[in-house]
Amino acid sequence: MNVKTTYEEQELVQLLKQKDEQAFSYLYDNYSAALYGVVKQIVTDAELGNDVLQEVFISIWRKIESYDPTKGRLFTWMLNVARNAAIDKTRSKGYQQHLHHQPLLDDDNMMHVAVRPGVDDYGLKKVIYKLKDEQRMLIDLSYYQGFTHEQIAKALSIPLGTVKTRIRSALIQLRTLLS
Amino acid sequence: MNLKEYISSGIIESYVLGISTDAEREEFEQMCQQHPEVEQARTQFEIALENQLQLDAVAPPIQIKQQVLAALNSIDSVNTSEAKEKGQTPVRRLSAWKLLAAACLILLAGVAFWAVTLNNKYQQETAANASLKDQLAQASTEVAELRLTAQTLQNPALKNVSMQGTQMSPGSFANIYWDSTSKDVYLLVNNMPKPASDKQYQLWAIIDGKPVDLGVIDEKVWDKKLLVQMKNVQNAQAFAITLEPEGGSPAPRGSMYVMGKL
Repeated sequence: MNVKTTYEEQELVQLLKQKDEQAFSYLYDNYSAALYGVVKQIVTDAELGNDVLQEVFISIWRKIESYDPTKGRLFTWMLNVARNAAIDKTRSKGYQQHLHHQPLLDDDNMMHVAVRPGVDDYGLKKVIYKLKDEQRMLIDLSYYQGFTHEQIAKALSIPLGTVKTRIRSALIQLRTLLS
Repeated sequence: MNLKEYISSGIIESYVLGISTDAEREEFEQMCQQHPEVEQARTQFEIALENQLQLDAVAPPIQIKQQVLAALNSIDSVNTSEAKEKGQTPVRRLSAWKLLAAACLILLAGVAFWAVTLNNKYQQETAANASLKDQLAQASTEVAELRLTAQTLQNPALKNVSMQGTQMSPGSFANIYWDSTSKDVYLLVNNMPKPASDKQYQLWAIIDGKPVDLGVIDEKVWDKKLLVQMKNVQNAQAFAITLEPEGGSPAPRGSMYVMGKL
């Protein structure tokens, strides 16, 4: 999708903070598809994915005041809103029942979910799957499942330091793969 | 660790992807403020990531945008600042708000119905209470009258005169109770035809052959069948009742109904 340059990012943020609906409409038109792609990587159910996307844009509208441009770009902020909303949804009781899942914090299940092969993986995830198995799993658990380094270390019985190092090296490779 | 190593340590990716720890995040934000190179590297990765994710974009169903915009209008009409504080999803907040409003309405209707019912019952009870009060007052009066009658009849100084029906009205019958001490006169009408509305019975004492007026007889006597006090008389040989025009006559003119001797 082509990003129209009708608004400079700074101008767009200012209008959003003033609750300008036209600016919000522009924001939706230009970023909803990218964020929907991210949400669908985490929430596999189509209907729940739609719910999450709706919640994400409502959150953006409500929380735009808290966006601080010195900490990153608007898209990065929205991406984190979307990722958090999607992970929250996968951890909700309704989602667990919906997919007949065991609780995700179950150690064996964490492994199972993390290493599942994905025929429908594309984009960033495809890039991630170019990483070594151990790195891919850690990125998956950390980024797509939202587990902390401590939780991953405990679940996989790896020292915390090792988890951090592997994730870091995976991220460095990711950067190379992206650029 | 020098700046170059820091930049390439993976911290930038970790921070931007939102998987760094709180301590790492704080440190990184400070580094960005202090070193423009770090911030620049961050922006570079952010743009690379955004470009990748725009390539991965999946168009959402068209109706979602309409749903979002509709939800925003609802949020704005509710309390925006309150919604901000709560940190819940507005979709849920809205439905919770609606539910609450519906619950309030149902509760209000319930309370209103209850109040109306209660008020009706209260009015019924008040009416019943007033009616009972009247009945009680009436009963009390009757009891007092009966007690007076009983007391009067127990008086040993009381003399009884039975007045029998005359030829005019053979079935009529009445009694006089005369207190020889106080000279009080009580009348009990046992059986006499009810007078026409323009007529009244009048009691007479016969003293030395002459009638003395002892008063007209109240109509209530027929309903209550109780002892009624008439005018006092010092002495009498006989008593009689005649039918006179309403209000009575100074001397008997009408027909005599009953008569009895002491």
